[in-house]
Amino acid sequence: MKIAIVSSFVPFVGGGARNIVDWLAVELERRGHEVETVLLPFSDEPSLLFPQLAGFRTIDLTDAVDLAICIRPPAYFIKHPRKVVWFIHHLRTYYDLWETDFRLTADTVITRSRRDALRRADTSALGEASRIFVNSTVVGDRLKKFNGIESTVLYPPLPSDHQSSALEAGDAITYISRLDLTKRQHLLVDALALTTSNVRLVLAGKAADESYATFLREHAENLGVGDRVTIDDRWVSDEEKADLIATSFAVAYLPVDEDSYGYPSLEAARAQRPVLTTTDSGGVLELVSDGLNGRVVAPTPAALAAAMDDLYLDRETTAELGRKLSQSVSELDISWDTVIEGLLS
Amino acid sequence: MKVIVANNMAPFMWGGAEELAVNLVDRIRRRGHEAELLRIPFRWEPVGDIVAQMLAMRAMELPNTDRLIALKFPVYFLRHEHKSMWLLHQFRQAYDLYDAGMSHLQSSGRGDELREAIARADQQSFGEARNVFTNSLTTSDRLWHYNEVPSEVLRPPLNDPELFTGGHSDGYIFAGGRVTVGKRQHLLVEAMAHTSNKVKLVIAGPPESAKDTAGLEKTIERLGLGDRVKLDLRLLSRAEVAEYANRSAACAYIPFDEDSLGYVAMEAAEAGKAIITTTDSGGVRGMVQAGNNGWIVDPTPRALGEAMSAASQSSSLAKKMGKESREFWRGMNITWDYTLDRLLS
Repeated sequence: MKIAIVSSFVPFVGGGARNIVDWLAVELERRGHEVETVLLPFSDEPSLLFPQLAGFRTIDLTDAVDLAICIRPPAYFIKHPRKVVWFIHHLRTYYDLWETDFRLTADTVITRSRRDALRRADTSALGEASRIFVNSTVVGDRLKKFNGIESTVLYPPLPSDHQSSALEAGDAITYISRLDLTKRQHLLVDALALTTSNVRLVLAGKAADESYATFLREHAENLGVGDRVTIDDRWVSDEEKADLIATSFAVAYLPVDEDSYGYPSLEAARAQRPVLTTTDSGGVLELVSDGLNGRVVAPTPAALAAAMDDLYLDRETTAELGRKLSQSVSELDISWDTVIEGLLS
Repeated sequence: MKVIVANNMAPFMWGGAEELAVNLVDRIRRRGHEAELLRIPFRWEPVGDIVAQMLAMRAMELPNTDRLIALKFPVYFLRHEHKSMWLLHQFRQAYDLYDAGMSHLQSSGRGDELREAIARADQQSFGEARNVFTNSLTTSDRLWHYNEVPSEVLRPPLNDPELFTGGHSDGYIFAGGRVTVGKRQHLLVEAMAHTSNKVKLVIAGPPESAKDTAGLEKTIERLGLGDRVKLDLRLLSRAEVAEYANRSAACAYIPFDEDSLGYVAMEAAEAGKAIITTTDSGGVRGMVQAGNNGWIVDPTPRALGEAMSAASQSSSLAKKMGKESREFWRGMNITWDYTLDRLLS
């Protein structure tokens, strides 16, 4: 089959939304399909929203491909008679984040009108799709709540050829993700200062905004834990990532109300390391349960510090949680066969 | 520096322009910049959608990008404060093909109106660009003729010059490139009937149709040249093409009225081989100084046969002319180094 994978991107910014496109393309090709990736640039500047939606709308792939799989918003505004959406998140500042500090714009009659117009436009564009899948029940619930649209969950896997390294777990808990306020690396630095064991912390990933990386470094120094935390502000290759995780005793992942369990959780599971997360991390909780295959604690420095000490000190339990996390991934049927069977059904 | 190279795309269509765009991105990265390729779908039909697609380019945003290099209509309508164009060709349907009565715009009944709208938009867009480069004198001439826009010719360099190292001659004449009537490989086969038994010819490249293959095979049989002409008609790897060129005595390239210097001739020169071409081969003539680094002869079997005999007869002559060929070509300075200096200036 001739398939186009359509998505939006911010130039020179990597991350989960681009990975899912690249990996899906590889897996489809592996199964004998012809794949063309259509990545269209997108700026989240509010005043430019609607002209850009109109731009996306003029992209018409009718006759050029048999099927268009749309991933990151607003990719589903393109035209094709057989449009399948694998919905990974809304433009969240106009949806679930509207009532939070992450809205980034003032709440005025203009911004509210824009929000409402986008919601109507989304509902209508998504309504054209022949099938709608989501990457998590959290996102499925939001789609139901805000757009009145039903969907089916298809959990995104890691690429099937990713390898994990079999290395000795060291004395660090590792958080590999974009350094970003919404990923809350700073909470772990706060927590580290309250730990009583010799646990170390590794924060690795490219900062979207360099000032956050600088802040993390200064903050660690001020709290007197500069020598127990490594802050590596750069893009980390898959191989390095596998090694970093394998040499850690646990993985931390505590985004604010994340859309899905997140790739860091899957990478932890592949290395049989447990995940430390927080009660407000959203989709992560679809995979990680407290005491079962990781730790889920309140998003406070004190609670995180206690959990870090526990994981560090009781290595036997920690290793067992890691093995359980790997089992959970199999039980949730997180695999490319399931994904592709669903998307092409 | 963050550089976006923009090209248009039709899903599953791949040709010289696509190859060039990929290579340009690669070369910019090797120079230590960040570069990404942006490919935006464009369809020529229905003609009623063309203007909307042009407007869509104006609506798209390129956040987080320092430079834009646009290669084609309509992606050069993208807005960016530091936009350069490296025009591979205009939307010829609105210009020279229109004048020649060969444009699909005419059949729409609104051809004049569309053509004017395109010319007006082009005018504005060329005016916004910091630099306007083209890939050939022909493109520059058209741009001046139709839009009165001055431009600088930047001929696309070889994508992989490092493969064409040259080397010891195995004594055959090599004819590479796409195999089709317009490239006139059949004329080379006929010329072989006018040469001595010593002269050998290798034709290698992807045939445009089964008819092209059958035609050549039939001529070879008719003239009894089976033991002196080798056909290798398929899409060869770049390494295979280079191997054929590197081990030849000289290269023949005789397309009818080519716009550009021709990659096949450029590869021959890079490999240090003399070039045989014809008086009506257009731009390819720019690669040859007759008698010094090759032959420019009438497009007849007899004249070509004489040139091929001369190239095969004396290996020292072929070697000397091959050396001149490389020097002449190097003197033209069509290199990625120079191209990037200009494109990023």
